[in-house]
Amino acid sequence: MRAQRMQRTLLSLVLRLLLLCTVATGKCSGKYHELLLQLQRQADLMQDPSTLLDPYIRLQGLHSPVLQEHCRERPGDFPSEDALWRLSRQDFLQTLNTTLGLILRMLSALQQDLPEPTNAEMNVRGFGNNIHCMAQLLSGSSDPKAAEPTQPGPGPTPLPPTPPSSTFQRKLRNCGFLRGYHRFMRTAGQVLRGWGERQGRSRRHSPCRALKRGARRTRPFPEVRRLAPRGQPPR
Amino acid sequence: MEAFNVIIFHNRFKETCSHLKLNFSSLHFIFFRRRDPMALFAVLQTTFLLALLPLRTYQSEVLSEPLPLTPESLNVSINSTKQCLHLQWTVHNPDYHQEFKMVFQIQISRFKASNVIWLENYSTTVKRNQVLHWSWESELPLECAIHFVRMRTMVDDARIPAPRLWSNWSSWEKADAQNSLGDHPLYVFPKDKLVEEGSNVTVCYISRNHQDNISCYLEDVLIYGRQLDQNVWAFEFKNVSFIRKTGTNFYCKGQGDPEGVVLLVSKVLEEPRDFSCETQDLKTLTCTWDPGNDTGLIQLPSYTLFESFSGKKTLCKHRNRCDWQVTQDSQEMYNFTLVAENYFRKRSVSILFNLIHGVHPMAPYSLFPKSVSATNATVTWKVYSIGSSSALLCQLQLLGEGKVIQQHNISVRVNGEYLLSELKPDTEYMARVRCAYADHFWKWSELISQNFTTAEAAPSEAPDVWRDVTFVSGHPTVTLFWKPLSKVHANGKILFYNVVVENLDEPSSLKVLSVPAPANSTKVTLNQSSYQIYVTAHNSVGPSPASAVAISGHPGNENVEEGRMNGTEDGFPMSWKPQSRNATGYVVEWCDSPQHLPCVLRWKNLGPTNTDTVISSEPSRCAFRPGVRYNFRIYEISTKRMAHLLEKKAGYLKELAPSYNPKVNMSNLTSHSFTLSWKDYPTESQTGFIQGYYVYLKSKTGEKCHRGFEKTFLTDNSVCCKYTIDNPDQKTFVVKDLQPESAYEFLVTPYTSAGEGPLDDFRKVTTPDEYSHILIHIILPMVFFVFVIMIICYLKSQWLKDKCYPDIPDPYKSSVLSLIKFKENPHITIMNVNDCVPDAIEVVNKPEGSKMQFVGTRKSPTETKGTKPAYLDLLPTEKNYSGPGPCICFENFTYNQAASDLGYCGHFPVTPQAPHCQLGPLTSPENLLKTLEQNYMNSLGEIPAGEANLNYVSQLASPMSGDRESPPTNPPEPALCSEYKMQMAIPLGLASPARSENSSLSSTALLDPREHCH
Repeated sequence: MRAQRMQRTLLSLVLRLLLLCTVATGKCSGKYHELLLQLQRQADLMQDPSTLLDPYIRLQGLHSPVLQEHCRERPGDFPSEDALWRLSRQDFLQTLNTTLGLILRMLSALQQDLPEPTNAEMNVRGFGNNIHCMAQLLSGSSDPKAAEPTQPGPGPTPLPPTPPSSTFQRKLRNCGFLRGYHRFMRTAGQVLRGWGERQGRSRRHSPCRALKRGARRTRPFPEVRRLAPRGQPPR
Repeated sequence: MEAFNVIIFHNRFKETCSHLKLNFSSLHFIFFRRRDPMALFAVLQTTFLLALLPLRTYQSEVLSEPLPLTPESLNVSINSTKQCLHLQWTVHNPDYHQEFKMVFQIQISRFKASNVIWLENYSTTVKRNQVLHWSWESELPLECAIHFVRMRTMVDDARIPAPRLWSNWSSWEKADAQNSLGDHPLYVFPKDKLVEEGSNVTVCYISRNHQDNISCYLEDVLIYGRQLDQNVWAFEFKNVSFIRKTGTNFYCKGQGDPEGVVLLVSKVLEEPRDFSCETQDLKTLTCTWDPGNDTGLIQLPSYTLFESFSGKKTLCKHRNRCDWQVTQDSQEMYNFTLVAENYFRKRSVSILFNLIHGVHPMAPYSLFPKSVSATNATVTWKVYSIGSSSALLCQLQLLGEGKVIQQHNISVRVNGEYLLSELKPDTEYMARVRCAYADHFWKWSELISQNFTTAEAAPSEAPDVWRDVTFVSGHPTVTLFWKPLSKVHANGKILFYNVVVENLDEPSSLKVLSVPAPANSTKVTLNQSSYQIYVTAHNSVGPSPASAVAISGHPGNENVEEGRMNGTEDGFPMSWKPQSRNATGYVVEWCDSPQHLPCVLRWKNLGPTNTDTVISSEPSRCAFRPGVRYNFRIYEISTKRMAHLLEKKAGYLKELAPSYNPKVNMSNLTSHSFTLSWKDYPTESQTGFIQGYYVYLKSKTGEKCHRGFEKTFLTDNSVCCKYTIDNPDQKTFVVKDLQPESAYEFLVTPYTSAGEGPLDDFRKVTTPDEYSHILIHIILPMVFFVFVIMIICYLKSQWLKDKCYPDIPDPYKSSVLSLIKFKENPHITIMNVNDCVPDAIEVVNKPEGSKMQFVGTRKSPTETKGTKPAYLDLLPTEKNYSGPGPCICFENFTYNQAASDLGYCGHFPVTPQAPHCQLGPLTSPENLLKTLEQNYMNSLGEIPAGEANLNYVSQLASPMSGDRESPPTNPPEPALCSEYKMQMAIPLGLASPARSENSSLSSTALLDPREHCH
């Protein structure tokens, strides 16, 4: 358990250094696969419940089975898995970027309720930077999927959930939000892995010009807009 | 004067109605004390009555009218955060303008008005039209129950005469917090209750669905509550404890989502400890304290510093420290009060602080050593000034090896400097400085320190040198040893040692050796002259004083008897007798680990007045160990630095019992004794002085101990006989008086003053029979004699054969033949073998699988199978032989080589009348012998003397078995056949290869009776 935590910490440190390097130099990696792999690894890291959810549950005393049963993602907190799969790459990156902005706000609000040495916020920022780089890269890439017309997205990302008046309800609410966050990052990682597979299968296609427009729009953490109601997230 | 008193009294009466009665009585008292003239009395009485008239009117008004003091406008509100009922009301009394005390009796009911749960009298001073407030904290969350409140009043003022009556009750006022709740099916209260550890808390839930089965948990534990109403349940927790900063979770779950509350339990706020203030610069005060244990809540308690003289206060930014700016108005005294406060408690602690007495200067800085020589160093430092005229008292400490060796106090204003002297060369020191306020010492500042090392100087002492002299071919070889100089005397790093060898017989010859450090010995080969050797140690500065050793070219007296001594805890005490009066000193030398080679030489120099010493282990060397023999040699040093051996001593720090027993050889074993010897046992390398040996003897028969032995018991309780050998040099022992044919066990173990060796290796011996040695003395020579005879017989076998059992006579050598030749017929010859035509040769395969050799065969040897004899028909067989006569088979067993060499063989026609093979009767040995004898005789008989040119020895063989010695088990039918084994030539000496090969076999040719016997 301790070794796993150490590995995760090291991995997180390495990733953050990579990201900080990217941000510090202000340059994005021009290698698609390298960037995609980095995004996948970041998503894998952030989907791990032991980074946020588990410490939160431990710290707030929510580990009883009754409470665990009700620590669940609320509909509308995050785009559903189906919705993410339906998105074009451009919209996917856009949605991801918007959702990361929401997550950052929530993490900021949760700061005092989380264990002290949490790297979640740094991870989210780094992930956002890489999304931005990916959007830039795709705007000039030969990715066939980028040429596809932009599909309707899952709707704007919601505002951070209104904190309930009761501390107890807030605990459950935050718990559900963190669970949804990990689920969302897991789905994002799967989608990103799907990119790699499709890229390997159809390299011969030309780039998507439509992505250029999307890439220009995709800046890390834009203003958050209201999400339209969507379907139930997977349990 | 008296009139004035009355007036004053009257005024007072008007002001305070409550004192009316008392003052009136006093008035009478004053009135009846008057003793003045009657005129004056009349005037005063009139005046008094006039003055009293309005007062009486006023009094009748107060007492006659009931006070209309019923509370008005009673309003009840709920504070959910504090779980308080807040009451607000007014008392309208237009007739009274002054304040007066009133009592308000308040009743609180729960769920229904008749269920009164609280009754309290609230006393206060009421002004006219004042709005009054009163709060009541409910232990049960107010949301879980409807509360009703009413009150009544009573004037409780001394100015109002009795009787004091309660007013009427106000109407019931309802406080219902449930109205504000929504339509959620389940509510749990109180929300986010902040409680102190150890207090009691009541939690309740309201269930709107009566059918719902609600389960409630405190953390993970299912708990059961008390039903207060149809849909209200309460849970009372006593003495709650702190679990975590984020609170204790209490939740209930029905059909839907769980509802719960978080009890934020705070630890009890502790009073600040060790509250003190100080200043570093007389400008800012810093007050510190120990806040005690954390209350465990995210909301930290606040700390406020209040100064009473100036009336200022400041909210502290830290929970254990607060800064206070010193004002410019020269305030010296400060009375600080530190107030720690949280939701539940307020703790305070105060100190009176004099600014001048609390100066704690900042640590000095820029401490540097300068001008560092071998024995002196100057250190400088700087301080932060306090004020313009204040000085600091600085303490300079010099530390060597962690200990303070010098300490100096210096008054400093800005820059400090001090010369440190009496330092040791090449030594690392630490200088450290701290300062205090000179005007009023209170506390030293923090220390600052700096290390420095003094410069090197030449070694101050000659190295301690000793020598070991060995003579090889008459020439002394000197090994010089020296001890490294101590740090105190080396004064730096020793780089090398110079060894100067001066031949005293040839003063001009000097030999100089330079030995690099850290070597501590060197070897010098000298001739038989006398020498003086000087050794100096050198560091980077220069050499040390020289140490001299004189060597004689001839070996001294080594034949000194060795004495023994015993070690003590302190080492080896020894003493000696001086030989000369001019000795300049003595040296005791020994080996550090004598059991390990080579010897690590140690020595101790002693002055000329010493005749005894104790040799103890040096801390840096190997310690003396128990059970190790140390050999000491004591030398006397002459004025010419020549060493003469005085004494030898050997000793043990502590003797131990021998660790092992000698390896004993047993010899001379007889029926009554045997000899034991252990001459290889080294007594000098044992763990103690060997004082003798014990010989243990155990007998199986348990016989009595022999003379000289004593009975003893071993550790295993077995009985044993023990003999003590007192002489450690005696290493043989004869065990006598033993019983023949008896088993014994023996053991030889040495003993020292500490005990004997291990008793765990008994050897067994069994004494022989009493006469066995006699038998041995007879039998052995006999066996030897027989053996010699056999060897002789073997060597002379041919001779013996010729003499004892000669072979078939050689016709050529026959005397008869020579006689015949000589006398009768000189032409008679012996038939040549070439003239003999053999009729058949039987080849017998030996079971060993030997290769058969054929002579004149018609079949190849490979065609022979198994062990069946192969027959070679040399005469016509049954098919081509028409003759009726039986065949004759010959087998040659042995005959004279000379004859064989000639290749004699023969064939004798056999008449049909010849007797048949007599197999049946031959089954018995007697018959066999008879038959052999008969055949032999017949053969001889049938051969005429003159015609016979070849003598055959025919031997009958069993036709059924290859083994001639085994009797036939199944004798075949007698056949008309005489079997003969043909004699083959077996050369005794050189022969043809084929024959030689045959000779290794039993080359017999045997006629198969089934094929050849007719």
